[in-house]
Amino acid sequence: MVATVERAPALAPVRRRAPMRRRQARTALAFLAPALLFFALLFFYPLLRELYTSLFSGPRADVYAGVGNYTKAFGDPVARHAFWVTVQYGLGVVVGAIALGLVLAVILNQRMRGRSVFRGILLVPYLTSIAIVGLLWRNILDPDTGILNRVLHSLGLPTQNLLAQHPLATLVGVAIWQQVGYTTVLFLAGLQGIPELYYEAAEVDGASVWRRFRHVTLPLLAPTTLFVSVIGVISAMQEFALPYLVTQGGPDNASDLYVYQVWKTAFGFRDFGYASALSYLLLIVILVLSLVQLKVGSRGES
Amino acid sequence: MASPERNRNDRLFPGARGVGYAVVLVVCVLTVIPLAYMISLSLQSDGEILAGNPVLWPAHLHFDNYQRLFDEVPYARFFVNSVVMAGTITVAHLVLDPLAGYAFAKFSFPFKRTLFIAVLATLMVPFFVRMIPVYVLFSQLGWLNSYQGLVVPFLCDAYGIFLMRQFLAALPDELIDAGRADGAGELRIFVRIVLPQAKPALAVLALFTFVFQWNNFLWPLLATSTTDMRTMPVGLTMFNQEFFTQWNLTAAGAVVLFVPTAVLFFFTQRYLVRGVALTGLK
Repeated sequence: MVATVERAPALAPVRRRAPMRRRQARTALAFLAPALLFFALLFFYPLLRELYTSLFSGPRADVYAGVGNYTKAFGDPVARHAFWVTVQYGLGVVVGAIALGLVLAVILNQRMRGRSVFRGILLVPYLTSIAIVGLLWRNILDPDTGILNRVLHSLGLPTQNLLAQHPLATLVGVAIWQQVGYTTVLFLAGLQGIPELYYEAAEVDGASVWRRFRHVTLPLLAPTTLFVSVIGVISAMQEFALPYLVTQGGPDNASDLYVYQVWKTAFGFRDFGYASALSYLLLIVILVLSLVQLKVGSRGES
Repeated sequence: MASPERNRNDRLFPGARGVGYAVVLVVCVLTVIPLAYMISLSLQSDGEILAGNPVLWPAHLHFDNYQRLFDEVPYARFFVNSVVMAGTITVAHLVLDPLAGYAFAKFSFPFKRTLFIAVLATLMVPFFVRMIPVYVLFSQLGWLNSYQGLVVPFLCDAYGIFLMRQFLAALPDELIDAGRADGAGELRIFVRIVLPQAKPALAVLALFTFVFQWNNFLWPLLATSTTDMRTMPVGLTMFNQEFFTQWNLTAAGAVVLFVPTAVLFFFTQRYLVRGVALTGLK
């Protein structure tokens, strides 16, 4: 082969490389084909189909409505209520999981015995099916037959009906219970990435413990915190199982989260067109949040 | 990543170690108690459940609840369905994700960047946006209440492809070229040379895919309506409605669903934690 190259005219290597490049492209496309076909048929086609459906109304989604479903959504008190309930839920879960996760991560980042055991225990609920989480807490919190009130009663404390009195806050609590281990692991990864040098420098400067935390740890964890908040809000906005399993959105729609509302609109009221429009509106909110994260995240890196 | 033992960020709160220990301990107890209570519930008698007077721990351990789960409820069928769903999807990911990841990592071809961005863009498409159109499509195809209906929406995903691409980009080109020089075909190189090098990444991918699909709730709930096609997470909620006072059987079903992931987690904690950190943090 080397001999051929030496004898060939100047242009020959370029021409000889072309079929090679074409062969590479063929191989690559063959390797990619199944995945690309999958994404085309199960992501991009449904996305377009959903947009198309959102332009129709009626039980069979066959009456052309134009943007009617979208204008309807903005004036619909039920949809607006569901959206604001979801924002409150998302902020509650994210703020709670970040505060608790950060505290736990800072503690677990120390040299302490049994650290990986604790970290493991905290992660277990995150790896537990939401079906279990929802049913288990519905059982525990039941005002009449739940163990929580039994325990409170035997301790001489007033019994509670949390699901009736504070349905949304209760769901927030259950979600934090499930997710705090995940947040903790992400913060631990962030903490491990902070160079020891910075702490040494701060110590030489005589910075107190609190000042080191405030001026070294917190700013250097900012990208992690941003990431955790954005993916936290995005996943909270998609919560379906907790209201479905624990509260059915009630009482008085107090825990009627958005995707649960979309589900009821589509599969309860059989209004696929309106449900599709509601999905698209939430998709836009989520895309904006994702882009903000990408933008701020990449600026932080450069 | 620095090894945790040598990381000295722990200077943060010297002296406060005792308080920290107490906080972690309290949170861990609060994490464990509800799960322990689930096990307790699963061992209680019908009488204890029906009395509406909950007990922390049953007077006698009714292990027969687990037998009844399979006798009185088609739980064996739910179990098999869950195994088929999570297993098939995991195998599909182990084939499709590395194939695509390898192509993006090691080949040059037209529109590579565009295609890669398109794949990554699917990460921003939440499942609920696909839920309605895929449901409608599958009902037209007659795929509801079928195994293909359960698995097809999840056969491959952008996280897996991204993970494999990042991992395989670090693979030395010389290894691949050596294979070519030996006259091996591209597929043979992929199977014999590339895949064995990617074992750690494949392990993380398999674990995550299996655990998340094993626990998947929303799609099986939507895509199945017949008892014989329910998976465990959905079956649990279904027989909880039909026999709604039978919390002991529900809890036993939850334990059967929970234990495999707990055992898997126990043996692979290190990988799972690394996986959370990896897939979580780009």
